[in-house]
Amino acid sequence: MKKSQILDDLQEGMNDAAELGSVPALSSDELDKLAEILMTPGRMVGVETGMEVPVTHDIGTIRLDGDQGNSGVGIPSSRLVGMMFHERAMGADTMELGHIDYSFKPVKPVIANEMQAMEVVQQNMIVPILYGAMPNMGLYYTPDGPFENPGDLMKSFKIKEAQEMTEKSAEHLTRDMVWIMQRMMKAGADGVNFDTTGAAGDGDFYATLNAVEQLRKQFPDMYIETGMAGEMVLGMHGELKYKGDLLAGLWPHQQAKLMGKAGSNIFGPVVNTNTSKSSPWNLGRAVTFVKAAVKESPIPCHVNMGMGVGGIPMFETPTVDAVSHASKAMVEVAGVDGI
Amino acid sequence: MTTAESSKNELFDAIVAYNKDRVVAAVEKARNVLKPQEIIDALALGMNEVGVRFERGRLFLPHVMVAAEAMTAGVKLIEGDLPKGGGKEGTAVIVTGTVEGDVHDIGKSIVSTMLQCSGYKVFDLGRDVPIRNFIETVKAENGRMIGMSALMTTTMQAQRECIEMLVEEGLRNNVKVMVGGAPATQAWADKIGADGYGENASEAVSKANALLGVK
Repeated sequence: MKKSQILDDLQEGMNDAAELGSVPALSSDELDKLAEILMTPGRMVGVETGMEVPVTHDIGTIRLDGDQGNSGVGIPSSRLVGMMFHERAMGADTMELGHIDYSFKPVKPVIANEMQAMEVVQQNMIVPILYGAMPNMGLYYTPDGPFENPGDLMKSFKIKEAQEMTEKSAEHLTRDMVWIMQRMMKAGADGVNFDTTGAAGDGDFYATLNAVEQLRKQFPDMYIETGMAGEMVLGMHGELKYKGDLLAGLWPHQQAKLMGKAGSNIFGPVVNTNTSKSSPWNLGRAVTFVKAAVKESPIPCHVNMGMGVGGIPMFETPTVDAVSHASKAMVEVAGVDGI
Repeated sequence: MTTAESSKNELFDAIVAYNKDRVVAAVEKARNVLKPQEIIDALALGMNEVGVRFERGRLFLPHVMVAAEAMTAGVKLIEGDLPKGGGKEGTAVIVTGTVEGDVHDIGKSIVSTMLQCSGYKVFDLGRDVPIRNFIETVKAENGRMIGMSALMTTTMQAQRECIEMLVEEGLRNNVKVMVGGAPATQAWADKIGADGYGENASEAVSKANALLGVK
């Protein structure tokens, strides 16, 4: 791309975010800075000295040995080895223990195993260790769970029934997440990482906010990180509220406030990559959304950077140049507290 | 005094507010002032606005479904008033479905609903639909368009295969093809020889209108 094309796409992506989220546009200096970062030669770039931020990894415990179509590299190793590699060889500032299913619900039948694993990990490592999993409320709907699938009900125009199923599923999800974390805290966890919150829409987000609130009351010093599944909370229910705020349609800067209210320590904003658009378009858009979230968030923001989010292209293992250039932009222009 | 313009606005507003009771009341009231087709057009305009608000994250799936249900109830009230043989747009048949191997169907269902609300006769074949079923339904129902959704790069190939089968069957010149779904793009549509691609439900409707030349 030519410089003029890069600048045009940055501007266009920025305008899209500003219009959708009703958030401030970037200044011309910030757009120039983004262009400069994108045009920096070299496959890998880093932030300016003094601007380093903490880096947290999700699913790092199974990234080395995982080889099931996820981002794992298939090296036989235990979860403990995976975590210690991240701590001691790769410079991770915090880590999480995660189950291969990586959803809360399947952890219930193996809770004793997970508690044992947490204890062993804590005996061997120094960095804070969270327990990480996805709320993944879809597992509470048929055929995986007890409640009729709201998607099927809506197709039959049974809207009230669909909403009721969402509410019931959210109640069960909150209960399960709190129950699991009570036990993991007993086993020595430093906290929890709610990963891809809102994946099943506003009910999923609602359940997580309530779980955060309950856990904060029970464990005042617990470390709670809550990351999103997408840039906007999808209204699969459409009318759920948390502390008076309608959840459907919230953008990152609005989500951050609720995360703070509920009692999270860290908010993980997500901005989705549009695969029909260029990297500058996506980066301009992502930085605009995230900068607004950082500005309005009452808690630190650790932006999600990976395949298909944060201005990074949609690849199973994204290229290092895309990841490092976009990450630099998030730190130096959006002002994120961590990644 | 109720004018044609105020009746149209009332119909539009009632749909955008996804309020079935208001839609039914507005249709009853409008029957004295507007022709049946004008009532349907005003309701369809409202549905288009619902689609735009859905696309912008201002309204959500339950709201779209309630609005669609309200529109259906409104149209049902005046069905008897419509001239026999259907309206100018009411007869175009579109066959939709999510291609074989792919079970994602929320997006496709929204598109089907929106097309239906815009006056088309839609045969939604559901999800995991074998290519042959699209062809057979087009033949049986004299379909003028096929709309295929695919949510995965592995299943989107079926969109190409369906077009090839239309050619083999000698139907391609009479049947327009639109593709959609997360991995589909205009470039993909061009590559496989589809006639159109819809980024979202409201765009799918406007592209269908343009391709079928009915509006």
